[in-house]
Amino acid sequence: MRAFVLAALLPLTAFAADEQLIERGKYLARAADCVACHSIEGGAEYAGGLPLESPFGTIYGTNITPDKEHGIGNYSADDFYRAVAEGERRDGSNLYPAMPYTSYHLLKREDSDAIYAYLMSLEPIAKPSPQTDLSFPFNLRFGLSFWNMLYKDSVQLQPAEGKSEPWQRGQYLVEVLGHCGECHTPRNVLGALQQDERLQGAVILGYEAPSLLADDLAARGWNPEDLATFLKYGISAQGSMFNEMYPVFHHSTQYLPFDDHQAMSTYLLGDQPPEPRKVASVALDQLGASAQQGRQHYLNTCAGCHGAAGEGIPHVAVAMEGNTTLRLNDARNLLRVIDDGIKEQQFTGFERMQPMPGFSDKLDDGQVRDLLHYLRQTWGGQAAELSPQQVSQLRSEKGH
Amino acid sequence: MAKRILSMIINSQAVGPVEVPDDLMMIDFLHEHLNLTGSRLGCGQGVCHACVAILDKADGTSEEVRTCITGVHFFDGKRVRTIEGHAKRDAQGEVSELNPIQQKFVDKFAFQCSYCTPGYVNAATVLVEKLQRQPVKRSELEGEIEDALGKHICRCTGYVRYYSAARDVVESLGLVKEG
Repeated sequence: MRAFVLAALLPLTAFAADEQLIERGKYLARAADCVACHSIEGGAEYAGGLPLESPFGTIYGTNITPDKEHGIGNYSADDFYRAVAEGERRDGSNLYPAMPYTSYHLLKREDSDAIYAYLMSLEPIAKPSPQTDLSFPFNLRFGLSFWNMLYKDSVQLQPAEGKSEPWQRGQYLVEVLGHCGECHTPRNVLGALQQDERLQGAVILGYEAPSLLADDLAARGWNPEDLATFLKYGISAQGSMFNEMYPVFHHSTQYLPFDDHQAMSTYLLGDQPPEPRKVASVALDQLGASAQQGRQHYLNTCAGCHGAAGEGIPHVAVAMEGNTTLRLNDARNLLRVIDDGIKEQQFTGFERMQPMPGFSDKLDDGQVRDLLHYLRQTWGGQAAELSPQQVSQLRSEKGH
Repeated sequence: MAKRILSMIINSQAVGPVEVPDDLMMIDFLHEHLNLTGSRLGCGQGVCHACVAILDKADGTSEEVRTCITGVHFFDGKRVRTIEGHAKRDAQGEVSELNPIQQKFVDKFAFQCSYCTPGYVNAATVLVEKLQRQPVKRSELEGEIEDALGKHICRCTGYVRYYSAARDVVESLGLVKEG
């Protein structure tokens, strides 16, 4: 009788184990933000199609649903692991390193298997992946074998001795699953991550992915709690996510448990986090002449939403006081936001931020320069001024 | 309160020089200083577009500007039109003839409570002026109207009539080319 009961329960147990594996795979796929590149806005999840612009041409996120013709339906768990961790397709050809195998080579095998189980549980979508459009010689996939010899294992973990458990988990989330370095670490002329400048910030498509080093984060006002809150909710006292971090929040970080955000912020700021720098706002009469001019542009074009004293309006526009973007050494992101604006944003729960208009055709170079100085000197603790040439050069670089 | 002097042209008439607070919003200047109350304060946050005025740029083009989130000093030295400036007026200053856009909106009964109507008339005006410079193919007309009016919010949900009036006025002014 007991044997019979066991036999009857076994398939159920196996089923429950599968369900657990799939559920874990779903969580891991979110932590790894697979959907961001393997989907297009409004398209089926994981069915591919997102164009990824690179200095070498356009690469498209592929269909990774279980469709046998267009997706990964014929991949085994081994094939999948090789693709994800080693950048090698089932047919033996090389993937382009837009696929972050330079980070995923550290992915644990059991985590790859869980993501595989999750992806294989999805509805197959028969949608062909667009062809890559790269210039010669980057269109030759075999050329990547040499690149891979040099750079495939670019990302390496930091020594974990003496580090807390959250720090170690945070390292895996940041460096491997979250592949944060793929944007926040600068690349060399061959597009490889420069590990000696790990997480020190890089410029991508006109915007700066700022430094994530602990001292730099602290200088921009971050403490562990606010950084974890920012990752969870996309918004904190330091501002709201925009540009490329908004989809990262939208597809990935908002779904993770708060433990994970705390672990990531522990890893980034360290087990003994530096004290966040306090920046007191500077009175108008203490500002430089250009910044004083900039105040009127601020009142004319910004204060309607951000407030005359930079206090912001909840659910409408972030405060300027304490805003992390104003504190960046490089004025690039602030300038890009002023020129390009920000689309309407939806955050966790019912939090919203209204669209911000772009002012590229409303403010001339001199006015933008004055405005940048006003914002950075008043609330950002950045007294240095930009030359008119720097401003016009930055403005001529298109964002996206 | 810090003040600053400005002048501008509103509805072809010189305004100023006048000294006003440096953080005064344009809609408050129109309402409180000039008694031009046709531009409507809706959300006060730049979303509903009921407050838009038309900015005439030096290059001969025109665009909408949200007066609830734009400071009055932004308009210093510029040319602006509001809903009060569209119709013809007689010697006594009374409206004697609506302009074709206003007339079409009336004919099509393209409003309900009318609160958002000035914003829609201004949006349609900017659209007509754009198409006068560059007529549109019939196949692209709907998209042009959507682009021009799409950001305006009508809480009575009178969108169909607004869009239909805009389409009619563009057609009646001969701004559509075949194709």
